[in-house]
Amino acid sequence: MTESKRVIVSPKSAPVENNWWVHMILVTVFMIAVIPVLWVVMTAFMTKTQTQVMPPEIFFKPSFNAFGVIVRQFGMLTFMAHSIIIAVASTFFSVTIGTFCAYALARFSFPGKEDVSFWILTNRMMPAVAVILPIFMIFQTFGLLDTFVGIIFLYTAMQLPFVVWMLKGYFEDIPREFEEVALVDGDTWLGAFRKVVLPLMRPSITAASIFVLILSWNEYAFALFLTGTNTRTLPPSVVTFTVSTEVSFDLLGAAAVIIAGPILLFVVFVQKQFVRGLSMGMVR
Amino acid sequence: MKTIVGIQHRSFFPWLLMGPTLAILLAVGLFPFGYSLYLASTNIVLSKPYLPRVFMGLQQYQDLVTDPDFLNSLKITATFTISAVFVEFWAGLGLALLFKRTIVGKSVYRLGILIPMVIPPVVVGLIWKYLLYPHSGLVTYFTTQVAAIFGLPPVPFLSSPQTALATLIFVDVWQWTPFMFLILHAGLSSLPNEPYEAADIDGASRFRVFRTITLPLLKQSILIALIIRTMDAFRTYDTIAILTQGGPGNATQTFNVWLTNLGFIAFDASRAAALSLIMFVIILVMSFVFIQIFTKTDPLLER
Repeated sequence: MTESKRVIVSPKSAPVENNWWVHMILVTVFMIAVIPVLWVVMTAFMTKTQTQVMPPEIFFKPSFNAFGVIVRQFGMLTFMAHSIIIAVASTFFSVTIGTFCAYALARFSFPGKEDVSFWILTNRMMPAVAVILPIFMIFQTFGLLDTFVGIIFLYTAMQLPFVVWMLKGYFEDIPREFEEVALVDGDTWLGAFRKVVLPLMRPSITAASIFVLILSWNEYAFALFLTGTNTRTLPPSVVTFTVSTEVSFDLLGAAAVIIAGPILLFVVFVQKQFVRGLSMGMVR
Repeated sequence: MKTIVGIQHRSFFPWLLMGPTLAILLAVGLFPFGYSLYLASTNIVLSKPYLPRVFMGLQQYQDLVTDPDFLNSLKITATFTISAVFVEFWAGLGLALLFKRTIVGKSVYRLGILIPMVIPPVVVGLIWKYLLYPHSGLVTYFTTQVAAIFGLPPVPFLSSPQTALATLIFVDVWQWTPFMFLILHAGLSSLPNEPYEAADIDGASRFRVFRTITLPLLKQSILIALIIRTMDAFRTYDTIAILTQGGPGNATQTFNVWLTNLGFIAFDASRAAALSLIMFVIILVMSFVFIQIFTKTDPLLER
């Protein structure tokens, strides 16, 4: 059997053997993506004078001084605890609530459906900075400033449009017949939803949750203005290190590690589920 | 019709399922919107509470649009959004297509590529602020060395009006190409096989296959990736706030930075509210146009 000269790379094609140039591109991209992060991580283990040495030193004796300072003087571990509580809770609520909404938009036809769906998206369009003042006033009226309830509620609302739009597409790809069979067999709607739809959706819902968790963990503008000593999360706490005239890059590096470290570790562990979940919903 | 047996006549049921979502969004979304409309119609300056409040009608909007800063910000925001999203899209698509191949060490590459997207934007800002720091930054140091070989002065990444915007675009591309890659990668891995086999039999060229099969089938993913990324690039705040705060001068003053300056430095709440509504309308129109373009031209996507 002779191979035709033209090779068409179909999505499930056999391995392409000679792909050294692919590796070259990917190694370059990998390095561009990773080296800046790695360098800042290294800075966290330097002393202040080492951070300003020219030319930069690649090998040095690591010091944990910076971590000691930001944990003891700035209380970064407390901020981390706040971040965990707020990110996990808002992810749980927005995904749970948003799943039902996405399902309704994907499954039923009713008047005004397209309008509702677009209106939900418009909620993601106001710039955060613009929304802060009115939200601040509402929070002040209801005593929600610097409370977990307030910020979790706000983050839930902020993530809902994203969850709904992402999951809607995946729900549309599950054939209706699956549920109809269960319903004919005498299941209630909830039974059919739980036994048939949810298991099929699990990878996509997992992927959406991971996405939302990352976005909530990283959120900066709302947290800066609406949280205080009781609920301060990690991202706004970093401002403390940049406002001073003389920037201490060792402290900055250590703060960056503490803010980005947990979410990076998390993504390392869930990478497979994340990527699979995003693609799986669309597989017919 | 294609509705689920037993539920189709209960038209309130979908509304019941959507209830919590709509209630939360109404509570958090509608008041700020209405309040901004009110603010924009008056002349509230938070630092000058003694000013008599006057109903301004559409005056605030008119003042904004005729302000020379408006055209400047429009140009900068458009340049930033369009260049960043354009580069991110093609780079992301290219990477996603590369990942269709069987590569040794795929998941390691993928993890590395995803890192910039996962770390908080604030930290991204800090990383690049440090790397581009005059004299002592890693990138500044090496580019200065390279420039010296050619007898050129050091590159003023963030300190010159000519290069600051390009630097910000680069940082945005660094940070968000992974997102484009991720969405398009997911879309690509779910394409059906049959059209490709048919094209193989017909002997279609690679480019033709890409243009007539891959791109149209990928439309849904492209739409989602482009809408979300355009909306977010338009509103970029965290990285710009940390890297340039709109400077030097107003060379990187995007709408969002201008808005922040109006609201939190000049405390001109009314002017800021008016600007935020103008931004909202621009994003709204952009999203609407995107959705129209993508859903109207392809009957396959109409549901």
